[in-house]
Amino acid sequence: MNNTLIILLPLLGFFINGVWHLIASSKGKKVSPFASGTIATLAMAGSFALALTQFLKLRAMPVESRLIEETLFQWMKLGGLSVDFALRFDSLSAVFTLVITGVGTLIHLYSVGYMSDEENIAKYFSYLNFFCFMMLNLVLGATLPHVFLGWEGVGLASYLLIGFWYKEMPNVLAGQKAFIMNRIGDLGFLIAMFIGFKFAGTLDLLEIQKAVLSPHVVTVFGLLIFFACTGKSAQIPLFTWLPDAMAGPTPVSALIHAATMVTSGIYLLARLNPIIAASDIVLSTIAIVGGLTALVAAIIACFQSDLKKVLAYSTVSQLGFMFMACGVGAFQVGVFHVMTHAFFKALLFLAAGSVIHALHGEQNIFEMGGLRKKLPLTFITFTAGWAAILGLPPFSGFFSKDEIIYETLVSHHGNKIIFGLAIISAALTAFYMTRLYLLVFFGNARMDKKKFDHAHESPWVMGAPLAVLATLSLVGGWFGAPVSLDHGAAEVSEISPHLIMFVSVVIATLGAGLAFFKYSKNTKVEKTTDVFGIDRIYGVAFGRGLQKLSSGAAKYVEEWVVQRIIQVSAALVDLSGNMIKVLQVGSAQAYLMMIVLAVVAIFAWFFLGAGIYGNF
Amino acid sequence: METSSSLSFLLTLPLIGVLIAWVMPKAVQRLYAIFGSALILALTVYETSGLLFAKSADLAKTFVVDQKLSWVPEIGFSLSLRLDSVSAWFVVLNTLVALVAFSLRGVWYRKYPRLFTSFGFFLVFALNAAFLSTDLITFYLAYEAVFIPMIFMVGIWGENQKAASVLRFFIMSFLGSILMLVSIFYLVYLNHEASGVYSAQITDLIHFTATQDPVKLCWPFMGFFAAFAIKVPLVPFHGWLKDVYTNAPMPGTIWMSGILSKLGVIGMIRFVLPLFPQTAAMHQGWLVTLAAISIVYAALLAIRSNDGKSLLAYSSISHLGFVMLGIFSLKSNGITAAILLSVGHTLVSALLFFLYHQVEERQAELNLESPHGLAPLYPVLFVSLFVSVLASVSLPGTLNFGGEFLVLLNAYPVSALCTILSGLGVILGAVYMLKFYQQLGLGSDAQKPTSSGVITKDIGAYDLVLVLMLLSVIVYGGLQPAMFLKGN
Amino acid sequence: MITLEPWMMLVVSMIIFCIGLLGVILRKNLLIMLMCVELMLNGVNLSFVAFSKMHQILDGHLTVLFVMTVAAAESAVGLGLVIALFRNLRTVDSDQIQMLRD
Repeated sequence: MNNTLIILLPLLGFFINGVWHLIASSKGKKVSPFASGTIATLAMAGSFALALTQFLKLRAMPVESRLIEETLFQWMKLGGLSVDFALRFDSLSAVFTLVITGVGTLIHLYSVGYMSDEENIAKYFSYLNFFCFMMLNLVLGATLPHVFLGWEGVGLASYLLIGFWYKEMPNVLAGQKAFIMNRIGDLGFLIAMFIGFKFAGTLDLLEIQKAVLSPHVVTVFGLLIFFACTGKSAQIPLFTWLPDAMAGPTPVSALIHAATMVTSGIYLLARLNPIIAASDIVLSTIAIVGGLTALVAAIIACFQSDLKKVLAYSTVSQLGFMFMACGVGAFQVGVFHVMTHAFFKALLFLAAGSVIHALHGEQNIFEMGGLRKKLPLTFITFTAGWAAILGLPPFSGFFSKDEIIYETLVSHHGNKIIFGLAIISAALTAFYMTRLYLLVFFGNARMDKKKFDHAHESPWVMGAPLAVLATLSLVGGWFGAPVSLDHGAAEVSEISPHLIMFVSVVIATLGAGLAFFKYSKNTKVEKTTDVFGIDRIYGVAFGRGLQKLSSGAAKYVEEWVVQRIIQVSAALVDLSGNMIKVLQVGSAQAYLMMIVLAVVAIFAWFFLGAGIYGNF
Repeated sequence: METSSSLSFLLTLPLIGVLIAWVMPKAVQRLYAIFGSALILALTVYETSGLLFAKSADLAKTFVVDQKLSWVPEIGFSLSLRLDSVSAWFVVLNTLVALVAFSLRGVWYRKYPRLFTSFGFFLVFALNAAFLSTDLITFYLAYEAVFIPMIFMVGIWGENQKAASVLRFFIMSFLGSILMLVSIFYLVYLNHEASGVYSAQITDLIHFTATQDPVKLCWPFMGFFAAFAIKVPLVPFHGWLKDVYTNAPMPGTIWMSGILSKLGVIGMIRFVLPLFPQTAAMHQGWLVTLAAISIVYAALLAIRSNDGKSLLAYSSISHLGFVMLGIFSLKSNGITAAILLSVGHTLVSALLFFLYHQVEERQAELNLESPHGLAPLYPVLFVSLFVSVLASVSLPGTLNFGGEFLVLLNAYPVSALCTILSGLGVILGAVYMLKFYQQLGLGSDAQKPTSSGVITKDIGAYDLVLVLMLLSVIVYGGLQPAMFLKGN
Repeated sequence: MITLEPWMMLVVSMIIFCIGLLGVILRKNLLIMLMCVELMLNGVNLSFVAFSKMHQILDGHLTVLFVMTVAAAESAVGLGLVIALFRNLRTVDSDQIQMLRD
């Protein structure tokens, strides 16, 4: 029952706020942000409490049977396919559920303050609750179609929230881009399901892992699943939607585009880890793509001037780290990093939101500076997030990130190339985060005086979540890897973990130091540079290409083939009409003549026919 | 077996509706049409409830009704009807679509309203007859009878170039029908040669064609296929569709996309596949390819459309391509999934056209080149529209997802390539449907029109109830598609 | 003395029918065409009577009575139409009356 309630509470919140919004807006009234936010936050808090009790229940069970399953109803049944609508709470789901509901509750609370001036506040909270409902479906669903339901559902919520300020068309288009790029990935998911069903005969997450599949099938299945993950988790080649997604409200960026939705790719890989790890091709693809994404996104992040865009590319880069972990078979480390990243990246986003809130919507980091005195709480909490993402001990990022770097070197599937990618990305991460940190909080105030004076610390509803997340960023790493999903992870290696730890801290310090030299004094304004021009290429290839294809179809095929078919059939009709028209002379007497002739002919046929064939 | 009263009941009720339309005053025609069709809908659901809500396929079989009336026995013509779980769904959908079409306000209730209502009820009658008949001649007659009101509807209440589009519609459809008629006569003739009995009964003919060489049956197969492919339509037989859909009055468009297209679907399921199973299997390769091309090609055209009606028209072709893909998988599971999807398609396309008409009533000059920003003015209307759009892009949890997913799942073993190609249609579907919604609803603030005669209120209570009814079927069906999946 | 055999009557009826038919086909005057139609009907009537006598069944006679009644009504309507046409168009030439043509 509890599993069901975990997902039902956000759904209930969604309905209450949604209906409230509709009624209020059709009557032209405003919804109280506090009341609406309280409902939404309480729904999430209740969900979190339930998830916690389930988690404790799970802990009390013996390790090998840690699973709480609830079947709600039969969903689809056709031929050999039978899909139940069932929720499974096991240790992997538990990690994600706790992160979603926990961080979710904090972000809901934060939103009450951040969005207090918003007109359609009930709509906002209903969307947020809807997102959590779908996300929980994703991580609790027992079958692939159920995961897919959540998968598409969070995509929809993301679309709605990115385009929340829908009066500006660019926001709407950013949402559209996210939805469509996600859908491209979803096609991989769909086809993976078809292959899975064809060869394994089931779509149940547990049973499909037990199925005996040929290596060829496993490889194709794994690659397709990974392709789906590149869409949702913003990896190469489908990562360009995530920076655009920053058009949405900042709490949304924190919840959806940093802490939860974008990590669902890791969830899926970890969930299906026996199949994924069964193919070396799949694993090395994941590791290489993850490594490249981490590097490319980190490079781009160094050239951004928008506060949220830097964090967005940083998210892409960190997700690359998680995929690297999965790609070397260390799924549990990947999941560990999901958790710590959820804490510190949500924190960074919320703190950034607090800065933006204080500066009334300013997002350009070259228009900031010197804010540490104005916004002390934001500054302190941001520092915690900064330290965590850099991987400074004893912050949470240190534990998870180091473990990833360690695994890339010592795991069976790891190698020096991936290790190199990870190290360089880590250095770059330190560089751009320090750059951001310095430009925002240190140096002179570069915005106009009035704005600076007006800047003020946020209310407690925004401060409290920051404080909680900062604490979590500090201590989150001590929990250790929350699940064990061992696949070719390191046995005993001659390389000492301490050495790697040392190397990575040194690297991070180097990156940070470089940024310090460059940005502590010098505040020359930099423009955002489109380093690789990937967005432009995609714009041409997908946007314009599709338009061309579409108009080409309309112009050539439609005109030359389809219209021809009509013309030919019309010509046939015309021709037969013309042939028979000759007989239509329009004189009753002529018709009568024809009738008489026909009668005579029929009689002649009968009588003469009788003579010839003897039928009569 | 039940008594056959329900069958004659399903046919006579709409005819009575036609007659009453002529004694009702002109002013209350819309009210009458709505109540009449709602009553017929309620009674139809009641009559077919045994089939619709049966717990299992075996249980449903006990509710199947057969009826056969000899008509011209010398040449084997008989009026034979059969109500089973497939035709039950289509019969119910038929009246539902009529209810939606009748609910629209427009010029058809001002100009010759009696004619419009009686045409509508006659359509219900003819479509019911077509969905129920198991005799080829009966089917053909009903199939042709559907044309008559449809053509007049476009001709009388249509827009712009109605004459040209009616002509195209007629020529293309009639060409298909003639080919089918020739094929029917050919089959009846061959059967007579072999067995000495004239019969157009589908059961007799199936027995006959089962013994024949599939190569020999190629031509009649093509005849039937052409008729239904034009009706559905499949690319490249869709040339008539865009003009007719856009120029037809909105109720006509709803009828055509919602239920007339299903004549092609049921024709394929009831006649083509059972009559020519081996011939179809021989041609499966290009049949599946054609379905996949339909999906992608129509979606491409939809992306480019800047007129809401033609965008929805192309999206209709694209989604019907999925239905055809399921049918051409030639597996009973695929066909069942195709039926599920066609139920979903009927509901969603009726809903989308209905809501689009509501938007048109509020803002006259709608094109999709620039955003209109209407959503904040009419929040309830646009939420309904958005949910319908989501159903149309087959988001999981809607009936259409169940249909498309199961169709593709069953088509995959037949042709992986075509399934992947069709999958592209899912992506393109999101592209054009989002464009459709965004350009209507989102963007900078619109002003309410001030001119008189234009509706400025949000969607009315009655319309909302209707929309909610359809949406709840779509969502319920999305969570419990088992209800629609009892097999055929 | 020649007895009137049924076949003779049939020959006469055929001749009358053919005269009527040729009249309808060849003549252009509507009035005459109408009279020729009557002639054809009477030819058929005669054959009914002949067959009736031949088979000794009275049905033929009955049919004749029936046909005559209908023919009377028909010629009344026909004449009425011709007069109406003449009033409107000032002609009874069938070739001139082509208002429905194209």
